[in-house]
Amino acid sequence: MVDPIYLIVIALGTAFLLGLLKKIAPALQIGLTLLALAAMTALSGSWAYGILTGSAAETAVYTAGFEPPLSINLFMGRAEAVLLTLINLTALLSTLYLKAEHRKTSTYMLMLLMVFVMGLNGVVLTRDLFNLFVFIEIVSIASAGLIALRSSLNQLSAGFKFIIAGALASGMMLIGIVFTYYLTGSLNMDVIGGIMTPALASTGFVGLFLVFIGVVLELKPFPVNGWGLDLYEASVPGVSALVSAGTATAMFYAFTKVTGMMGPLFLDAAAVIGGFTFVGMNVLALNQEKARRLLGYSSISQVGLLVMAFGLMEKLAPAHTETVVFGLLVTHALAKAGLFWISGLVDRENIRDWGLIRTSPPAFLAMILGIFALSAFPPFPSFFAKWELVMTLAQQGGFGFIAVILAGSFIEAVYLFRWLGFALKLDFNPDDRISGSPAGFLAPLFFGLVLVATGYVMGREHGISYVPLAVVFGFIILDFLNVKIKNSLALAVLGVYAWFVYPTFIGDLFKMIFGGIFMGGAFLTTFSGYYDKGRRAGFYPSTMSMFFGLFMLIQAETMLQFFYGWEFMAIGSYFLLIRGKKSMPHGYSYMIFSIGGSFAMLAGFSLAYLSSGTVALSALNGITVYPLLAYSLMLVGFMTKTATVGFHIWLPGAHGEAVADIHFMASAILLKAGVFGMILVLLGMDLDASYSRYILLTLGWLGVLSALIGNVNAVFQESAKRLLAWSSIGQLGYIVFGLSSMSHMGWLIALSLSITHFLYKGILFLIIGGVSLKLGTPDMYKMGGLIRRMPFSFLAVLIAIITLSGIPPLVGFTAKWIIYNMTIQGGFYFQGVIASIAGLVAFLYLFRLIFSMFLGQLKDEHRKIGEISIWFLIPVYLLITYILVVSFFPGTLLGPIGNSLKTLFPENPIVWTGYLASSELGYFNGTMIMNVFLALFTVNFLILLFMNRRAEPVKQFNIVYSAERPERPETTHFAYNFFAPYRRAIGFLEYPLVTRFWASLSDLLYAVSGFFRRVYTGNGQTYLLQIVIFIVLTFMLTKGGV
Amino acid sequence: MADFDYMKILYAATTIFLTINYGLVLQGIIGKIYARVGKRIGIRIYQPYINLIRQWVTRNSISHGIMFYLGPVFRFTGGGGILIFLPLIYGAPLFNSFVEAGDLLLIMYFMFLGTLGMALGGGEAGHPYSAIAVTRGLAQVTAADIPLVLAIFSITIQYDTMNIVEIVGAQQGSFLNWTLFTNPLATAAAMLAFLGSMMRSPFDVVLAPQEIPIGPPTEYQSQFLAMLMTNRTIFPIAKTMLFVNLFFGGVALYDSYLLTFLVFFLKTFTVYMWSVFVGVSFPRFRVDHSIRWFMKYPLVIGVLAILFVSIGN
Repeated sequence: MVDPIYLIVIALGTAFLLGLLKKIAPALQIGLTLLALAAMTALSGSWAYGILTGSAAETAVYTAGFEPPLSINLFMGRAEAVLLTLINLTALLSTLYLKAEHRKTSTYMLMLLMVFVMGLNGVVLTRDLFNLFVFIEIVSIASAGLIALRSSLNQLSAGFKFIIAGALASGMMLIGIVFTYYLTGSLNMDVIGGIMTPALASTGFVGLFLVFIGVVLELKPFPVNGWGLDLYEASVPGVSALVSAGTATAMFYAFTKVTGMMGPLFLDAAAVIGGFTFVGMNVLALNQEKARRLLGYSSISQVGLLVMAFGLMEKLAPAHTETVVFGLLVTHALAKAGLFWISGLVDRENIRDWGLIRTSPPAFLAMILGIFALSAFPPFPSFFAKWELVMTLAQQGGFGFIAVILAGSFIEAVYLFRWLGFALKLDFNPDDRISGSPAGFLAPLFFGLVLVATGYVMGREHGISYVPLAVVFGFIILDFLNVKIKNSLALAVLGVYAWFVYPTFIGDLFKMIFGGIFMGGAFLTTFSGYYDKGRRAGFYPSTMSMFFGLFMLIQAETMLQFFYGWEFMAIGSYFLLIRGKKSMPHGYSYMIFSIGGSFAMLAGFSLAYLSSGTVALSALNGITVYPLLAYSLMLVGFMTKTATVGFHIWLPGAHGEAVADIHFMASAILLKAGVFGMILVLLGMDLDASYSRYILLTLGWLGVLSALIGNVNAVFQESAKRLLAWSSIGQLGYIVFGLSSMSHMGWLIALSLSITHFLYKGILFLIIGGVSLKLGTPDMYKMGGLIRRMPFSFLAVLIAIITLSGIPPLVGFTAKWIIYNMTIQGGFYFQGVIASIAGLVAFLYLFRLIFSMFLGQLKDEHRKIGEISIWFLIPVYLLITYILVVSFFPGTLLGPIGNSLKTLFPENPIVWTGYLASSELGYFNGTMIMNVFLALFTVNFLILLFMNRRAEPVKQFNIVYSAERPERPETTHFAYNFFAPYRRAIGFLEYPLVTRFWASLSDLLYAVSGFFRRVYTGNGQTYLLQIVIFIVLTFMLTKGGV
Repeated sequence: MADFDYMKILYAATTIFLTINYGLVLQGIIGKIYARVGKRIGIRIYQPYINLIRQWVTRNSISHGIMFYLGPVFRFTGGGGILIFLPLIYGAPLFNSFVEAGDLLLIMYFMFLGTLGMALGGGEAGHPYSAIAVTRGLAQVTAADIPLVLAIFSITIQYDTMNIVEIVGAQQGSFLNWTLFTNPLATAAAMLAFLGSMMRSPFDVVLAPQEIPIGPPTEYQSQFLAMLMTNRTIFPIAKTMLFVNLFFGGVALYDSYLLTFLVFFLKTFTVYMWSVFVGVSFPRFRVDHSIRWFMKYPLVIGVLAILFVSIGN
């Protein structure tokens, strides 16, 4: 292995060489730089590979041939090797981005760059305190030069502030080093660390503190980091990437070395400063609209998170520090570097102008990878790091810090996803293209893929399968193909997977039911995807991500695997829901609620881990530590997915603007993921404990209120899709209510309603979606009279609404019967009343749906319109067949489910004698009802047909009008504001209470952000003063603890 | 279907036939009473028969399409279905033909079948006024059903069953056993709901004769109207019998058929006349008024009814 000292040598040597070769061709200069950096990368890379695979040992390098304290020693360990590879690689790739600058500044830039990189390498490698100071100074000076590269006013000002702040920081550090040397007699960090005792630390506190604060200031803590933000905003993207990925990494490592040297002295301070920075920077970033400044906020906040994580982990569980810190650090470095490089390509200051990134799919993919990596989504390393951190904190009782981490992460997601939404949906000038060479996206894309690979490796240790990732990336690569091919491929993949995996579910009732809904639903909805004729870019990776996430939920054996599946599903569903033309705010709202919910779930899981000591799903059973909080948090997480009232405001918009088959997926399948989660939680609760009663009571009321609010709001919608979305909220309310009763009947209805809701809602979504596609609008008052043109659609909708409303003889009546039994047997009288009222209200919107669309009068432009796509009708009629079968023989659905439920809830089951179902209260015979109905219906119909055999058929417009004659058919179609009198009477239930609540909460957050941003005055002298105050305050606060 | 008693089909057909006749006679009697109250002579008591038969044999008719057929068909299926699912006479197999198909809940929901069919059929006519009538009707019916649902909750809790036969059985013995006396609040709520569903004043804006001279009454003609008229003879009887069974002790089978029939006549006639008396005494509500009205006093009475029995339990 090559001696690590050559890292310094090559860098310094190249800098001098470049100075000598000032006059030669620029291309040669660049080539020389690249060669040097490549060599350094290879060197550090070989060490990293060697140490990780075990073929090389961590080595100390003694300069001048003497051991310390006579010489300065460097150390090439595992962390150093990996971090240096990262830093050098970033530098190498950044150089490619700096070529344009080189033309203007000639050699000086490259010299600065080499010195800068040398400094970074030195910072990471050295074990000598004073040597560290020297290298930090080198980095500072070189950075200042690089920041001011273009010599614009912004850059000069930023560079200057950087110098001032840096000077103060390193000044403090130097004084501290002097005192420390006086105290310990050595400058070697290992030696100092060896002799450090609490007594010694107390005596030499001032000196140690000054060293600590010097390093901390280099990390730009909040609120004294205005100078740091300015530099991110002003520098050219290549430099920002270097500073963010390179300097931050190196400085952070220096921080860990220095703090570690002092024992546990400053770990608490680190945690607090880090936490404050993390949350503070994220909050302040909310109002930011400039892309690079936004990335600056994010960079600084991530470093804050790292500092906090280090402080906490070193104190609480040093063995796991490396995993956590490594995961977060690598993610931050790679993602930020990538995003800064992309910001150079896109070259738009305002985040709203980033729509043009869509002209380069690889760059766009890189941006997506970066943003999801920063938000700690799977499969990225940050996901596992955050999990580890939260679990450790829970185990050690650091609940406050968990709240801080989750709150900060949530706010970060708020602004990152707002940005992504703009990039995904906002328009741009069609003549604009991304500047720079097309290959400019290669580096960020490469980094993004490295992140995925790293995350995958980390995931393997936790038992995460490679299949979902492989499928998603497979479809990303094949995205250029036509829909017909991709659809067939998707069906094949789903079919094969189901073939192998579904048999493993047999024996477990819940896995069978929900596995069936997810897998069967996936297959059915994908089948209808054949209707599209184009390429449908980005659709298939998203659907695969969503479906495989759902499958992972069912197959999960540990909480981590469950959470992984949950987040994986969220990624896919986000992209699907935001595809609609007007979906930007709704997809965003969905994502924010989803992330909030998953954080609540994570917090709940951490309490489960604390209580049980294991990560297996069995940890959810019988939590004994803060059980009310734990179970409530988890249920809140699941309620954001089932859109229970209070967490439902995203659904009408998100589903209402979604395309047909996506709406089906989202409502019929995705919502059930929340139900599945709730089942797991409810099964785990200890029903005799008092907390259970509170939780179940609240859940029951939330369920029936969702049913009522959902149904009432559906009545007043003009858009058919929004009507169905509100209806879904209502139906899920019934399911939640059923689950909360913890009775046989209740769970029977929850499970069978999950299945039948999938059936009849699927029909409605596909038909309504198909009609909206065909007519170009979902608004019902623009339709009318379609029964003549689309008879099959009409028939399907008729069957669906009869089922939904609960009118016998179709299977919806079975549902109502069971709910009724459940409410009376369980004593839920008032909830039952509200549920019944909700059921009555459902008739209104169901009628409105079918009347406004299919009955009444046809509009002129629709006179020649044909039936909807056959690819929608086939799945629809399959669903109808199943509904008819189940209506004729309800026992085929309820019997097996009831039998399996008897082990959990043996009391008050349905007793089947033949076709007759009886309970303690009543009975019904589905088959007999159906037979009677068919007999009466057929007899009456035949009588009427016979007696009417000479009837004269007339057109739709041939109606009797007294005195006045209507002009045009379309003006006589009554559909707008259909239930006006009802609105006058009960419109108060439509009041958007929940929306107002969340809106005011977010307004408050933005106001706070706006207020505290004032600390960034832009004045260098103010920043200096702030730093001094910070130093004094921190000293006083930490000294108080010593 | 091996153990299915095919006699049931005969019983069902007989029930429907007899009820049609009873309904027609009842219509005649009530028409006569209306007239005599207004100091007129009135129609002949057998006039409804003539009207119905005349309607069925009309030669000309027009049709707006297949859904147009389904309106009256659904309606009559709904009415006839309720008749045979309900135990009309307690203890008489002839009038309990398909009682074991379902309990009280089935009756409740089956009533909506007719409403749905009518709504769809009216919609198919293509008339905006049909749609207006339907929206008013649906909105009002759903509001009127709220106190009914509450009352039914109350008696289900009280009798601990949804089986109508058992509910009727529990009221036998003495007239003091009637729900009217054991649970007067529930009865009150239900009778108020009954007014709403009978669609007489003050809740008759739905098909307000003076306001909407066009729409379903005119679009549905000849045999379509005939089927609707036939339904109109049996559906009120069925609804009334439901209420009699639940709240007024039902009609038990006595030794003498004449006595049974007399009791049947008295009870259905009285309950039916309750809606007529209210109808002639009060003016019409607007739809939003009636919805809000149902959500005030009837709702409160219903809630009190539930409280009353649940505390008693």
